[in-house]
Amino acid sequence: MKVLQIKCPHCQQPIYSKVRDLAFYCSHCKTMHIRDGGINVIDFDVAEFHTNSPPDRVYMPFWRLFSGFTINQSNVAGGMLNKLGRLLKDTANGGNIFIYIPAWETDVNEFKRWAMDLTEAQPVYSLRLDFNNVERAPTVVPKEEAMKMADFVIVTMEAEKPGTLQYLDYQLQVHDARLIYLPFIKGAGGVVPGF
Amino acid sequence: MSVSVGLNCPSCGGAIQISEGDNVINCQYCDSLLWVEGDAGVITVAYKNLQDRDGVLRATEQWWRKGLKAMDLKKKGRLMECYPIYLPFWSTTTRVAGWVCGYEERHYTDKHGNTHTERIPKEEMVLRDYQYTNIACDPGDLGIKYLRNNAGEVSFIDFESIPTFESTTSKDEAVELSKQRAMSDARDDARVPHVTFEKITVIPKRLSMIYYPVWVVRYAYGERMYMATVDGVTGNVLSGRAPGDPLYQSLAVTGGTSIGGLIGAAGLAFGIGADDPTIAIGGLVIGAVILGFTYMFFRHGSEIIDGDFDDKKLGNPLKGFKIAGTKWRFN
Amino acid sequence: MASMKCTKCGAPVEFDAGDKFVKCSYCSSQIYVDRSGAGFYYALPFAMGENDAIGVFRRWGGGSNKAKDLDKLAQISSLKKQYFPVYMFKRDVDGMEQVHVEPAASTTLPGLHSLKIPGGDLKIFDDKFDSSGAELIKPDIEMATYLSDLPGAAKEQALVYFPIWRLDYVFEQRTFVVVISASSGEVFSADFPQRSSVAYMAVAGIGFVAFLAEGLLALSSPLPAMIMMVGTVVAVFLMANFVARRM
Repeated sequence: MKVLQIKCPHCQQPIYSKVRDLAFYCSHCKTMHIRDGGINVIDFDVAEFHTNSPPDRVYMPFWRLFSGFTINQSNVAGGMLNKLGRLLKDTANGGNIFIYIPAWETDVNEFKRWAMDLTEAQPVYSLRLDFNNVERAPTVVPKEEAMKMADFVIVTMEAEKPGTLQYLDYQLQVHDARLIYLPFIKGAGGVVPGF
Repeated sequence: MSVSVGLNCPSCGGAIQISEGDNVINCQYCDSLLWVEGDAGVITVAYKNLQDRDGVLRATEQWWRKGLKAMDLKKKGRLMECYPIYLPFWSTTTRVAGWVCGYEERHYTDKHGNTHTERIPKEEMVLRDYQYTNIACDPGDLGIKYLRNNAGEVSFIDFESIPTFESTTSKDEAVELSKQRAMSDARDDARVPHVTFEKITVIPKRLSMIYYPVWVVRYAYGERMYMATVDGVTGNVLSGRAPGDPLYQSLAVTGGTSIGGLIGAAGLAFGIGADDPTIAIGGLVIGAVILGFTYMFFRHGSEIIDGDFDDKKLGNPLKGFKIAGTKWRFN
Repeated sequence: MASMKCTKCGAPVEFDAGDKFVKCSYCSSQIYVDRSGAGFYYALPFAMGENDAIGVFRRWGGGSNKAKDLDKLAQISSLKKQYFPVYMFKRDVDGMEQVHVEPAASTTLPGLHSLKIPGGDLKIFDDKFDSSGAELIKPDIEMATYLSDLPGAAKEQALVYFPIWRLDYVFEQRTFVVVISASSGEVFSADFPQRSSVAYMAVAGIGFVAFLAEGLLALSSPLPAMIMMVGTVVAVFLMANFVARRM
């Protein structure tokens, strides 16, 4: 076993962090890389805070999965609302969607809540180029794992609506995953969106 | 589990703490992010042996007194040899995320004797991490297939002095086995009797190799040589073979035939004449089951076997190699 | 410890069975120990001596499905300390590692065809290895005969000498053989004198039926039934005790 210091593949500067973070961000050259089998530099988005946001700001990481999705058949006992159908803009039951996977350390309910909320109501934000010295929560979910969670989010959306899911036939392809830092405000009861 | 494994930060030289299976750590002294590279991608840890010869022999002697072993074992048993070994185990963490949907059927009988079946639709979420350990070599006649304990100090200090069993099974097979096992455990945990739809994603999260200290004790009883193994961390007896006692065997079958026979007779007495044959049949079945268990002890109780042996006929069949499913958290 | 030549500077480098990388002490280069070709020989040490092996055999012979008193009546005709060769193949099959173990010597001995993977403290087998007086069985099956049938690409292959005690014994004029793994104490046997379950089943069956009948009798005439039950308890216990000790 050997231990290596993680260095930026772009400028070779060592990367420091007070916490364990799987997204290695170089504060010198603003490059981010991950290690999933190899050393891969990744693109990432940082969203701008709302102009009048309070000062307790934090960036929370999400994996945004660009996915193709089709529902062939769904059978829900005692329910009728179709959340998924509303998301699909192209046709009645097929199209592309963004699935948001919380990438920081969450418990089950937090994970479900943010994945559902953001996938249902896609966040609108403007981009900026750096973190502007705002604290960011560490990423603990690797990209590959996030991509595998897509199915779970999709089925959860169908199952969490009124009624009891009995059957669901769908197709889902995750084309791409991108790390998105969304602005949040720290509060007494957790974080609230700041975008 | 956070442990010091005798590795140092390449940047500042400070001792580093790693969690079993984690590739990325941050140095608590200089905040450097560090990448841990195991052999062939597998991080290896070894537990420190906390037992000594005397303690192990005492534990074996105490084990002799427990259960239905030969009554004169504590007098006639002679401890012959006792040595520690390191056994290799694959340790895996597997996340399962998904839904199992379907229904449960309940039957009701109303006062007219008509039976109604009610279908209760069910949708169950499964979202948790399963941790398994599985021995990474052929355990032969050691009677150990998985770890019971996952707490202890991790250190390679004894690694040179204690003989180490090499890992000889495939790591991919270990991951595959854990995936299958997690899938079926998740299905069981969902408790949906009739499944109409299921979508379960199995994500292997961590794989590491654990070297665990185990003491092998050989002892003689008459001309026969028996063995036991003792956990080198907790000091508990993990597995072993011991002579049984014909007296216990005889008592078991005497008890089994009398209790089983009388329950059967009671069933017949109350059941015959009644409309419902269930009581008579039920009584006989319960009687026969009691008889069956005691018969097995009577027939095979001349050797008492503790642990994961293939020829074990008595005792509770231990459920696979699972330690515990842990509450789910992204960590 | 075995040694190889440093691929960079040619200096001798020592390495052990588990090492994947070694550092050359002369030029400090990291050398990958390539095990994908043939030529690695390992051996497991003997963890059990002659008396241990006999004791394990006696324990095994006293098992519940072995003929009564096999442990005492079996005449041990020979006991040989042997190193039996097996090939261990690690294969890369579509990116998945598989391990295969095959015998390297033709044998009719029990257990050695179905050896999973010998567990033990693998030591490199070279001219310095102390075989502690064990007879080395020469491999007479070429590694190549297995290679053509194995899936995937070679990752590592080795010849492993597996320590066994081969014990021949005579019971009622017939000769049997067992192989005892000197690493773990596992006993392999193909054929052995069996113990019949008839006497055990008879005791359990007779007892059960007797109590069933007496239980029914108790409905009409409780007192005689009670007396008979007490008698049956004593009878079943005595029969069972006799069977458990002597049959």
